[in-house]
Amino acid sequence: MKAFKFPARHGYSVEISPFIPTRLACATSQYYGIAGCGTLLVLEQTETGITLVKSLDWNDGLFDVTWSESNEHILVTGGGDGSLQVWDTANPQPRPLQVLKEHTQEVYSVDWSQTREENLVVSGSWDGTAKVWDPSCGGVSLCTLQGHEGVIYSTLWSPHIPGCFASASGDGTLRVWDVKSGRCRLAIPAHRAEVLSCDWCKYDQNVVVTGAVDCSLCVWDLRNVREPLSRLLGHSYAIRRVKFSPFNQTVLASCSYDFTVRFWDYSRREQPLLETLEHHSEFVCGLDFNLHIPNQVTYQGALLSSHLPRLVFDPRHCQHKLCISICSG
Amino acid sequence: MNRVKVVFGHLSPPNTFKSHSGPVISGEQCKALSTGPDDIVVVHGVRTAIGKAKRGSFKDTTPDELLSSVMTAVLADVGLSPERLGDICVGNVLQPGAGALMARVALFLSGFPETVPVYVVNRMCSSGLQALFNVAGAIQMGCYDMGLACGVESMSLRNPGEPGDVSSRLMDNDKARDCIIPMGITSENVAERFGISREKQDKFAFSSQQKAIQAQKRGVFDQEICPVTTRFVDKDGLEHTVTVTKDDGIRPGTTLAGLTKLRAAFKPDGSTTAGNSSQVSDGAAAVLLGRRSAVEALSLPILGVLRASAVVGVPPDVMGIGPAYAIPVALKQAGLSVADIDVFEINEAFASQAVYCVEKLGIPLEKVNPNGGAIALGHPLGCTGARQVVTLLNELKRRGRRSFGVVSMCIGTGMGAAAVFEYPGV
Repeated sequence: MKAFKFPARHGYSVEISPFIPTRLACATSQYYGIAGCGTLLVLEQTETGITLVKSLDWNDGLFDVTWSESNEHILVTGGGDGSLQVWDTANPQPRPLQVLKEHTQEVYSVDWSQTREENLVVSGSWDGTAKVWDPSCGGVSLCTLQGHEGVIYSTLWSPHIPGCFASASGDGTLRVWDVKSGRCRLAIPAHRAEVLSCDWCKYDQNVVVTGAVDCSLCVWDLRNVREPLSRLLGHSYAIRRVKFSPFNQTVLASCSYDFTVRFWDYSRREQPLLETLEHHSEFVCGLDFNLHIPNQVTYQGALLSSHLPRLVFDPRHCQHKLCISICSG
Repeated sequence: MNRVKVVFGHLSPPNTFKSHSGPVISGEQCKALSTGPDDIVVVHGVRTAIGKAKRGSFKDTTPDELLSSVMTAVLADVGLSPERLGDICVGNVLQPGAGALMARVALFLSGFPETVPVYVVNRMCSSGLQALFNVAGAIQMGCYDMGLACGVESMSLRNPGEPGDVSSRLMDNDKARDCIIPMGITSENVAERFGISREKQDKFAFSSQQKAIQAQKRGVFDQEICPVTTRFVDKDGLEHTVTVTKDDGIRPGTTLAGLTKLRAAFKPDGSTTAGNSSQVSDGAAAVLLGRRSAVEALSLPILGVLRASAVVGVPPDVMGIGPAYAIPVALKQAGLSVADIDVFEINEAFASQAVYCVEKLGIPLEKVNPNGGAIALGHPLGCTGARQVVTLLNELKRRGRRSFGVVSMCIGTGMGAAAVFEYPGV
């Protein structure tokens, strides 16, 4: 396990580069994200630890970050001032290449499309709208999708269906959008609570997971949304972020305000919780699987702490330890 | 927005949550999630009017003429040049060799260039739908981007009957022997075995006529019928040139009492009559299909999306139950249930089998053949499948909203075919 600390910043989101297995980006904010500036950190994982490659400052808190899928140096962040920033880490100037300002309130999520022949970014904002952008052609959004009755916390492209993304909102719904028609295709009252995060299964285009303030995760089959495929209980506070494993169809990881990161296998009906990691002493906001290195998971804690603990953790070791403890127990 | 308030909201007890109040868009529509550039879409479809065999409007019209009318019209309506077609498949049952020659002749009569190929397919009553499956499959395989699926039948000029060359051993095998049972007897078998009463059959037949009369009155079919100008020899032997625009099998004078009085047509104590069976007819239909990406590149409209297709086998002696087995397979493929479907076009070969299938699947009657079926309109064998697709998609379009529909039919010798279409909405 490796850790990295950066003074006076709190991590909100961590993403591993799709190009370089050891490269990480982290969106952070000052003063617990409630006021002050933000910093985009680009980090490199070495054999012994984690080193800072670059830090890029912005005048408001940064809440989410996404790597370009077409250029290893490009990143997009979403900020508290309602703008998106397009960054080029190869640019010697510590300023964004482009600032996309249309949202009227905090941009809480950004995601770069992974489907071929598309270089689109979707953003979700507390103004209740999602916007789709093509960072290569000007500073004007391609479309604005309205429908949520609350703030949007999470927007994520389907890894399978071009022009389709899911959004999680404070109105308790998960929505699925078709960018081509500009319409909401599906609105699922997923939780009787604010839904803070969602993610698509990487192996089944119809499966989506949601994580909510009601401490539960729900796995949905979009073809039949009357009830979830699985409801995963265990967290003791709101779930801040959830992600499906890129390596296993039914495995997912979630992090929570309860300071823990949990791994689940929703196909295991009796005991879906695989393990609980308690390496943080604060809310855990960001989480990512390493696409290049099976079993490597990165996550970060934030808020109400004076520093940013950052951990790169290999669950294989943990399982090993777990094994030993069972044996010795 | 006050960020502190939002974060504290995440930590507050869940019962303080105000539930989402907007309309819930149900999961039933989500198959369209898989909308993609490789979808097989229907651009447009037309049909001729359906004429009563041997007496009706097309009694003197050869099938190549009927086919040529719809082939020409379907392209002209959307302004597509025939050179764009990768292939044409024509469903036909009664012509020798399913009309391979007739189809090529129709292509030239339509003014299509020799570079456009054409072939025929015969899966009996599902031939028109099978032609669509074949073209869809070839598009999906990447053989070409745009294709034409047609169906045509002249039952005036050809009779079913000649079985071709089959082994005498046919009589030693129960199932093989059942394949030569006359269709009317298979209807009697269904009625007897599954208890479909004469009363139910007549009611269903009456309702088919009523719905067709209403649809014709409202001009529902005018959008899908392309006029055919042809020759017609009257009873005095005089030849006329006529333009046919209306189905002539619909009988406004039909009464339930009248249907009840009809004698059984296939066996003395039977329940299948001329009134509760499909009519013998002439007609043609054509459906233009394409890969979504190509259709969009050509700026053509999208009338429907093919979401699933299935053909299954059933016992030959009760061949009419085919839809009851094919429809669930197609629905499963599409990830949908009966409740998700707005309109079912189930071919009315016989009221007995149609009623059986509808009851077996628990389909609300109002969803079945809302503009009438083969009992009122007629059943030109090879044409029917394509005709049903045209009628279905036009009906869904008329209703306006995004929805799903099913086309299905039974097939002689014991099979059933079904397809699920999505109308994408306006």
